[in-house]
Amino acid sequence: MAKLLIVDDEPNVVSALRRMCLNSMMTPAIPDAQVTTCTSPLQALKHVGDHRVDLVISDYRMPGMDGATFLTRVKELQPDTARMILSAYTDMEGIVRAINDAGIFRFVSKPWSDADLRFSIVQVLQHRELLLENQQLANEVRVQRGIISRQQAELERLEAESPGITRVRWTKDGGVVLED
Amino acid sequence: MIEPPSASGTSKHNDFAWLYALYELGQKVATGIDPRQVQRDILNHIVSGLDAENGSIALLVDGTDDVLEIVAGTDLPPGVLGSRLAPGVGVFGHVLATGQSLLINGGVAETHLPVRINERRDRNTDSAMCWPLRVNDRIIGTLAVNRAAGRPRYTVADLDRGQMVTSLLALVMANHRMHVEREKRISELSQLNAEMQRINALLEDAQDQIIQSEKLASIGQIAAGVAHEINNPVAFVLSNLYTLESYLTGLFKPPEQPAVTPASGSAAALPDVDFLREDGIALLHESRDGLLRVKRIVEDLKDFSRGGADDTLESADLHKVLESALNMVRNEIKYKARIETRYGALPLVECLPLRINQVFLNLLVNAGQAIEANGTITISSGVDGREVWFCFEDNGCGIRKEHLHHIFEPFFTTKPVGQGTGLGLSVSYSIVRKHGGRIDVDSELGQGTRFTVRLPVRQTAAAVESEHAVAMKAA
Repeated sequence: MAKLLIVDDEPNVVSALRRMCLNSMMTPAIPDAQVTTCTSPLQALKHVGDHRVDLVISDYRMPGMDGATFLTRVKELQPDTARMILSAYTDMEGIVRAINDAGIFRFVSKPWSDADLRFSIVQVLQHRELLLENQQLANEVRVQRGIISRQQAELERLEAESPGITRVRWTKDGGVVLED
Repeated sequence: MIEPPSASGTSKHNDFAWLYALYELGQKVATGIDPRQVQRDILNHIVSGLDAENGSIALLVDGTDDVLEIVAGTDLPPGVLGSRLAPGVGVFGHVLATGQSLLINGGVAETHLPVRINERRDRNTDSAMCWPLRVNDRIIGTLAVNRAAGRPRYTVADLDRGQMVTSLLALVMANHRMHVEREKRISELSQLNAEMQRINALLEDAQDQIIQSEKLASIGQIAAGVAHEINNPVAFVLSNLYTLESYLTGLFKPPEQPAVTPASGSAAALPDVDFLREDGIALLHESRDGLLRVKRIVEDLKDFSRGGADDTLESADLHKVLESALNMVRNEIKYKARIETRYGALPLVECLPLRINQVFLNLLVNAGQAIEANGTITISSGVDGREVWFCFEDNGCGIRKEHLHHIFEPFFTTKPVGQGTGLGLSVSYSIVRKHGGRIDVDSELGQGTRFTVRLPVRQTAAAVESEHAVAMKAA
């Protein structure tokens, strides 16, 4: 299930985007999309505060708060969220902040092409999933490595305490040779 | 035919008919007949009246007091007419210098100075009389008549009688001169007038061009907002059409081949007819609203940028004019400020609506630019006697006191390059003034600014006329 949050001060844009995301008759389809929409960034931040969100698509020019500022706050609240800006107009300064501060995954200009936007959304979601998977695997590896190194550390400690104890020499009849 | 006065004591110089004819000749000067011709006719009249063989008239050259120019003569050698005489030389020079008439017989001056006059143009001349032409104690020229040898010589009595004729002639000449001068002045004045009209027309053109350029410049300033305002509806209408296409494709898909999305493989891919109908209609409604919005903003822009042909007074609903200006700037402003409107009931106002629209747009753009974020722009309106007023109040940065009395000057701006031409308020001011109204400003640094525009409900006849004149000139 992909939880999407769409933020734009224009209700008709929000409505068109919701339609597009939920329309499974078009390809590429967004797998199991669940869409929440907001027409104000402040209202959207409240939602992000207590709901898991996989992808936020935000307008740039909105009353109260611009898209870059909004997505920067989203990033602080849920760092794993994928973030996109969909805008009819922005200045260079806005784009720079969106990329550097808000760490957006895509910048799409309005008017958009439905096919391209869906493709971008699917790609961004896949990319995010890969990232999450990568993170998870890395953690697992780290944990595994951590376990290994704990065993190693114990061995080293034992070896230091009684040298040779980690190097057990067996006799032919199964006895253990102890040096002294 | 008049009877010329005789040379002897039986002179008829004072013959009324002869004088009247002279007077009538003088009058011709005023009727636009070639003045040289008139001078010649007068001289002929005098020459025949004084029973002389020939004669000449010299007038002082303009701007000098001792240079004479021969303006008329009978039987003169070629080249003499129009020639200038050196100061003090000859009979004319002598008469001009002394201011007294001269009788010359046989080459000797008989009056006042028994000097011998050597210089004779015509050896045949035996007797001559020469008078200064005097107007108000000022000598304007000289007149001379000559009689050939073998004829009775002129006498002092002839000289005195001739004096009377010369004063009339002097008056005629002076009149002529003044007439010519007046004509010259009139033509100079009318030239000056024509020049002023031309310059006026140029100024009007220049002002129209400034108003027009200012208009285009303000479009540049609201372009970002307008692009946003157009792009948003275009974006969702386009997206809705893609969606509608897929809805229709889904609806008309043969039922034996149900669409299955491989990704989900669920029944969600099958068209839910009820949903599609409902959402399809909603989609069309929203799209139509979007296109109407694009249409409106394009119309507002087109109206606004239209130039030249808007110089006709109309009775306009100024709230509509204001709304049209607001439509253009709302998108620029709404990210920074809330717009509050408190409209009073207004009568129709006689004005040039597109010009007033330009004024409103300017004031709104300024108010928007004064606000950094989270501001409020309050627009109120009302009637005050025979005037309507509009008040644009912002809680933005305000105007510095030292700038306050410069803000209506052309090219005065404190805005960064690209945000202002310095023409907005100057053009607004001149538009409002042309309507017989005024703009007042009230500002406090850091607190905000209030502009009040007052316009008369009816244009006065004079204002209408001047506007009409402008329109005529523009046509």
